[in-house]
Amino acid sequence: MCLFLYVLSLDVVGVAMAISRATRLHIWLRLFLLQASWNFERLQGIGFFYSLLPGLRKLYDKDKLLDVSRKYIGYFNTHVYLAPMVAGAVLKLEEEQASGTVDQTLEVDSFKDMVAAPYAAIGDALFWGGLRPLAAGVALFFAVKGILWAPLIFILMYNVVPTWFRTVFFVRGYRQGMQSVEFIQRHRLPDWAIHTKETAVVVLGGLSAFMVFSQLTQHHLPSWLGMLTLIPMVLLGLVARKGLSTLLLVFITVGTVFLIGLFWADVVSLISL
Amino acid sequence: MVVSLSLGALVSLVCGLDRVAMLQIMISRPIVAAPLVALILGEPQIGLQIGVMVELLWLARLPVGAAVPPDDTQVAIASSVLAIILGRTLNASGIELLLLCLLIAIPLGKVGQYFDHYARQYNVRLIKQVDSALDRGSLVMAELQHLRGLTSFSLAAIGTYTVILLGGLLIVPPLWPLLQQSLSYSSAWVQLALPLVGIAVILGTINVSRAITLFCASFCMSFLLMWLV
Repeated sequence: MCLFLYVLSLDVVGVAMAISRATRLHIWLRLFLLQASWNFERLQGIGFFYSLLPGLRKLYDKDKLLDVSRKYIGYFNTHVYLAPMVAGAVLKLEEEQASGTVDQTLEVDSFKDMVAAPYAAIGDALFWGGLRPLAAGVALFFAVKGILWAPLIFILMYNVVPTWFRTVFFVRGYRQGMQSVEFIQRHRLPDWAIHTKETAVVVLGGLSAFMVFSQLTQHHLPSWLGMLTLIPMVLLGLVARKGLSTLLLVFITVGTVFLIGLFWADVVSLISL
Repeated sequence: MVVSLSLGALVSLVCGLDRVAMLQIMISRPIVAAPLVALILGEPQIGLQIGVMVELLWLARLPVGAAVPPDDTQVAIASSVLAIILGRTLNASGIELLLLCLLIAIPLGKVGQYFDHYARQYNVRLIKQVDSALDRGSLVMAELQHLRGLTSFSLAAIGTYTVILLGGLLIVPPLWPLLQQSLSYSSAWVQLALPLVGIAVILGTINVSRAITLFCASFCMSFLLMWLV
């Protein structure tokens, strides 16, 4: 935490910083409440305005501030971990606009609208689609073994990357303004999203094998039976791809297992008679 | 019992807010939320078992744009609280009661989706209030309207928790004597099946070419290694 507070408060040599360290830290902290008023009409719009307000207050007088604020309460939606980068860059552009050194070819709100959707797509694929299943898969290995530290392992493993994004990308956004887009491009995040997803699939394959093997060993059943698990799993996966709801799949599977259990119990009692 | 329910509600509130409205540090994930509430109530292993079964179920449903996934946070928390409270009341232990509580909580968790949807719909009203606060020149009022959104999400979380809990308290006790014996034949396999269904859904919906090939290769290799070792 101290490291991040330090990074946040770093000044850049040779770059004029009109917004103080304390204000930047204030904005960064407010970004944790970005979605507090999430709604179907403007999504994160009000939250983005709320987060930027401490910075805007330093840049404009009261009358101008009201005009600028109206610009920010409109529609806005991006990934919550990449929003700090947009906020940092927008802050820089506002700062330049307030001091009259702005590049007039692109308005601040146009820039904001232009980057929000691609950043959202990158973030969704990387964090929700890749990192979250990966961290969950790893943590579940420990949880299945009954290790109570499993939730902590999940929290630590998952949060390292988002915290890095929230902090370093905010600083980068503020340092580089519009050029921060190049920073994102240089990191080839869409490629990382695909690699993370592939790793998650491999981990989940290992986890499934581990759970099935443990169960068979516990019930003194032959291990080769476990390989048959792949058939229903692939079938369920294909059915899920067709759009069948998870709830329905859960009840079909549980119902089937329950009925087989009852049937097997009857068979066992008949044999023992 | 009241103390346990209240502590559960507190965890439900904090984790419910982490889900969308603030932080997003993933304490709202079932693998964290269920053991957390169970630890507070003194039986962490119950929470851990529920966390394992619920974590992967809806992980493939991404909170993208305006999509609202089912509320697995409240399902995990409420079913942990239910299993612990009813375990003490009915003097029952073992995986069967836990499974029954979870299987009742899972469909009731669908309510959470509606509550969450309603909270987001309700927050649309805040836009007008922010607009009028700015017209009046009051930036502080505009900021406060944003924070008022937290109330809607809090109510949605507590509402879902209450519905699942009440439903469970009404349904599980009469069903328990009828299903206790039958569930014991298949409980271990149902416990295995739930995370596997979740993994299958992830496999089917994850946007990776050759996902099934990768999965099968990893499964076979791991299985073979475990068998050999």
